Amino acid sequence: MRDAATSAPALSVEGLASGYAGRNVLTGLGFEVPKGGCVTIVGPNGHGKTTLLRTISGLLRARAGRVRIDGRDVTGLAPNRIAAAGVAHVPQGDLLFPQMTVAENLLMGAYLETDAGEIARRLAYVYGLLPKLAERRDQIAASLSGGERRMAGIGRGLMMGADLLLIDEPSLGLAPIIIEQIYGVIGALKAEGRSILLVEENPARVADLADAIHLLDNGALVWSGAPQELLARDELLATYLGG
Amino acid sequence: MDIIGPVLVAGLTTGALYALATLGLSLVWGALGMLNMAHGAMLTLGGYAAFSAVRTLGLPPALGVVAAAAAGVAAGALIHLLVASPLARRSPETFQTTIMIATFGVAIALENAILTVYGGQPFGQPVALRGFARVGPVTAPWQNLLIMGVALALMGAVALYLTRTRGGRAIRAVSQNREAAELLGVSSQGVYLRVLALSGGLAGVCGVMVSSITQLSPTLGGDPMLKAFIMCVVAGLGNIPGAIAASFGLAIVEAFVQYLAGARWGFPTLLAIVILVLVWRPNGLFGRAQVQRL
Repeated sequence: MRDAATSAPALSVEGLASGYAGRNVLTGLGFEVPKGGCVTIVGPNGHGKTTLLRTISGLLRARAGRVRIDGRDVTGLAPNRIAAAGVAHVPQGDLLFPQMTVAENLLMGAYLETDAGEIARRLAYVYGLLPKLAERRDQIAASLSGGERRMAGIGRGLMMGADLLLIDEPSLGLAPIIIEQIYGVIGALKAEGRSILLVEENPARVADLADAIHLLDNGALVWSGAPQELLARDELLATYLGG
Repeated sequence: MDIIGPVLVAGLTTGALYALATLGLSLVWGALGMLNMAHGAMLTLGGYAAFSAVRTLGLPPALGVVAAAAAGVAAGALIHLLVASPLARRSPETFQTTIMIATFGVAIALENAILTVYGGQPFGQPVALRGFARVGPVTAPWQNLLIMGVALALMGAVALYLTRTRGGRAIRAVSQNREAAELLGVSSQGVYLRVLALSGGLAGVCGVMVSSITQLSPTLGGDPMLKAFIMCVVAGLGNIPGAIAASFGLAIVEAFVQYLAGARWGFPTLLAIVILVLVWRPNGLFGRAQVQRL
């Protein structure tokens, strides 16, 4: 995989601050995703989880702090350049191209790849991992079900060929059986050695998957540790996650 | 009824011109969420560029069309670099309004530049075919057939570009979801530049075609642009196939109304159709709810 020899973490975030028009949402936070690791950000809604991913991938400009991908400083770059540095951001709500077919959506994922052979190889890989997409390949994205849309969003991200995946609330609004399938796929991606930063509301869902969990509240990381530790801390769950 | 043939030829010719003018306008609206009020001025520019290339430089007419396309591409690219891109960067919230006013200003400036250089008197467009063709029972001017052919060829080429190439897919991707496209590595600024240049090139060729059956004057592009707006609104802004269908359909309606009721009833009829369509379907015949972009 990309730059496997270097010892830098897949993603390193330092003192990151960002927000929208005059309002700071993130107030200086830092963490790392080691190569091949799965790190999960949990926390209440509206406290900056999505803002964090959007700042890492450049959709929002950082007001302070640094973001490094594989040791390379990408702070302040436009999102298309950060994508080229090897980040696949699977955004919340999928953001598929609604009037394109599933196959066209997937091809857009490989936009930066110009080698036709490599694109075909990735397409075969994604169809192998997510067979539902192969069945639906000629259907326009707007006609997919919620679970299929989520699969297509993940598939499109995988078409980028990046080793670092940022996945925003993959379970949002889906039926439990579909959530299980989606997490099965994410588990398979981790087993392949990809590095994953996952945003999730429910820490129990990532108990077997995440190497580390950070609790994000009010724009700052208020607790970090292993998933099982967090699940044993009733007072944290009650305070921050309403459970 | 031997009159149906000629009226239909006239309707199809204007339909092809409307469709060509609409295509550029619709592409830009779809990708940038911007109404380019200078679109008509780019048509005019193309008409005059072909005129100068053939009359002043002595180039063959085919190269006159190339010169028109090149002038339109340059104008479109400059509008992006000097007007649209700075406005979008400085005040994305008010872009949809400010860009209309700004490109309206560009249109006035371009029109007056042409007036200064060429003067106000109309010229004949040298890029035009003479003579008539007989197609079965119908006689049609070669120039009208050329216009239909060029319009169909350009529309086909644009359709292939948008659906079959990587660059064209990127344009559709940005039109449908800019942020998602950027996350996949698409430079939205690069797409905007390409779309405005492409729309300028189409406008340039369209200007040659319009002036070939009317005449060259500094206000040449005004009427086709107005009609193009109408087609876009009837079809639903940003819906390209719908806008092309509306162009041909309404141009044929216009041609028959002009024949049956008199030339002055053509435009009021079009406007009446627009109002009725908007009352019945506010997003246009084939439109979906509009998304705010940029």
